[in-house]
Amino acid sequence: MSVALSRRQAFKVMVGLGGTVATGLLPKTAAAEEEHPAHPVAPADAIAMLYDSTVCTGCKACMPACNEANGLPADTLLSGGIWDMPTGLNAQTKNIIELYQDPKSDEFAFVKKQCMHCLDPACVTGCPFGSLKKSDWGAVTWNSSLCIGCRYCEVACPFEVPQFEWKSWNPQIVKCEFCYDQRLKKDLEPACTAACPTGAVIFGKRVDLLAKAKDRIATAPGKYFEERVYGEHEAGGTQVLYLSSVSFQKIGLPKLGTTSIGHYATKVTSHIYKWLSGPIAVSGVLGFFIRRNWNRHELERLEHEKQSGFPDQL
Amino acid sequence: MTSTQPTSDKRGTTLINHWQSGVPVTHGPILTPFVFFLLGVSALGLGLAALRFFSPLGPFSGMNDAYAWGIWKTFNVMTLTALGSGPLALGIAAWVFNRQNLHVVMRTALVSGFLFYATGLVALGFDIGRPWNFYSAILPWRWNSESAMLEISICMPLYCFVFLSFEILPLFLERLYYTGNDKARAFLRHFSPMIRKAYPFLIIGAYVIPLMHQSSLGGLLLLAGTKINPIWQSPAMPLLYLIAAGLCGFAFTIFLLLIVCLRYGRALDADVLNELANLLSGVCVAFLAVRLVDLTMRGELHTAFALNGMSLIFLFESALILTPAVALRFRRVRETPRSLLNMAALACVGGTAYRFIPTSIAYMPPHSTRYFPSAPELFIAAGWIAVGMVGFILAINYFAVLPGEASTWDHTFRPFGWPHKAAGAAYAPSVILERGA
Repeated sequence: MSVALSRRQAFKVMVGLGGTVATGLLPKTAAAEEEHPAHPVAPADAIAMLYDSTVCTGCKACMPACNEANGLPADTLLSGGIWDMPTGLNAQTKNIIELYQDPKSDEFAFVKKQCMHCLDPACVTGCPFGSLKKSDWGAVTWNSSLCIGCRYCEVACPFEVPQFEWKSWNPQIVKCEFCYDQRLKKDLEPACTAACPTGAVIFGKRVDLLAKAKDRIATAPGKYFEERVYGEHEAGGTQVLYLSSVSFQKIGLPKLGTTSIGHYATKVTSHIYKWLSGPIAVSGVLGFFIRRNWNRHELERLEHEKQSGFPDQL
Repeated sequence: MTSTQPTSDKRGTTLINHWQSGVPVTHGPILTPFVFFLLGVSALGLGLAALRFFSPLGPFSGMNDAYAWGIWKTFNVMTLTALGSGPLALGIAAWVFNRQNLHVVMRTALVSGFLFYATGLVALGFDIGRPWNFYSAILPWRWNSESAMLEISICMPLYCFVFLSFEILPLFLERLYYTGNDKARAFLRHFSPMIRKAYPFLIIGAYVIPLMHQSSLGGLLLLAGTKINPIWQSPAMPLLYLIAAGLCGFAFTIFLLLIVCLRYGRALDADVLNELANLLSGVCVAFLAVRLVDLTMRGELHTAFALNGMSLIFLFESALILTPAVALRFRRVRETPRSLLNMAALACVGGTAYRFIPTSIAYMPPHSTRYFPSAPELFIAAGWIAVGMVGFILAINYFAVLPGEASTWDHTFRPFGWPHKAAGAAYAPSVILERGA
């Protein structure tokens, strides 16, 4: 179709398009660092937990310690009201020791589950009003006064960590927060690492723990599964690191790529929505055509209203 | 196609057809047994939903921590708003691509779209756990601008309650003009030109905002990553969700027009339906092309055609879209109301299947739990749909929504029960000419 453009109109379109393209391009050159790099680098002060499944004896001392530090009631549903016996992470359990047992061989292992405190957490990327956020030292914390209870964090988390209080009228998102308010701020280590009698889970700077874990692998060749640390690169890297002698998938750690999930989800949209340049450009283009067709429609409308006596409806 | 004699009325060159303007349904009872049935379903749903005010989510739903999103989100919002994308699809075709003969069916699309969005959003209000914190939506410094959820939670209500409401405002003003007093008419004569002034600017928002949030609905699922089967999990999901919205928008508008016009004995318009069917088939082809390119580029073609469970679901879903894409290329199919209705229905099912499957069947979190909506969940979901259907039936009876021949206009139609000046007056085009909006 041929477009009847006056010079003024054409000029307006060019200015509009140029402006929107410029808003799309300029900030990108200004801001060199990406919001969600594919492989995030841990800041120097990032803390971590290192859990060695081969050291853990399954004493579960960390579980009551966690409940006590976080003020969580014991989950006594299964034990008939006697002991804390959760069947997995739930609304009363932020930390759990699970047993993996191969029914055929005598292979077994314990695994400690809690929030992995990813370097680029999917839950934080998805949380609409910033209720979940990466706090000091990299702890992922939850703020009750910003949460709308949309449960997007539960959909986003590849480790299925955040738990929702389905039975509460005022539901909270329950997840390990690295004892951020309870202990980290008071210069104490998290309750679980403090309680662990065997040193299966230890607390420290992420760089130090990563070096320590690689040391353990190097000193005992063949002991550890795949000779690697789970959490070094998984989903862009996590601040909880695992060593295990049996397959990570068998003890319930999902097989994940090395790219951060936030990067995967926002790599295209972050460019489109940067300074709303995409929507502004689209509205510029749509607006131009709508206005042109509107003017045509108006002329036609007036003419046929005059001719037929039938009014036009919007 | 049902043939009708065209009226002697000579309209603008691009507007010659049997459907000339929105005309309300003027005959037959409103409260039919079917409407009573719908009212029963909505009363049950609304009653249960009212109980939700006094109850946490747990006892109400089958949702759990692995399947944290139930059908209120995944079906009532993420799937049904695709069917409610008629205003977006038809509006862009009519106003941006200058398909002027689609203007006459815009009102049908607008009303159905508004009802789908409004009922979906209300359902969402019962689904979120801490709705009292939602006021953050008006505090921009709290926004997490990279979250697709934020985009949806702000844009969807904004679209429904500002832009769509503005677009259906002329329906109400028109009715007020006929049933109101002289004062109201004087006000409307003053007010209607203002609407016409603002209209071309506001509809830009009415198209850009759904383009944003319909694609963000697919963007939501990107963060779910490996939990979604690789046949569906793809960086192209935002684009595919958007195309599926256009597909469902066209398909559902055709379906609705045919069903309702046949129900109320309206003459059909071959030109408009032909145009819509053509566009539908084009969007179906575009959808399948993007799907195929996406699967090929990600190297998942062998997964998609492995003929196992998930692959068969994918093939079934694609067949539902491929059938109308091919069939509607044939003029005879497009011009036979029955086959057009069938093809539009297939496209509706196929498009909604694409939107629903990644959140339900293909959503496989590693924990071996399962989710099936509980009875109250299903009743409430059905209740909101029934509310929308009752709303649509009332709207076509009280407002000039359905397209018809302008000569069948009777402005004494179904007054709300109060006497008004126009009632009983003879049909006088001069009165109508004065009408604004």
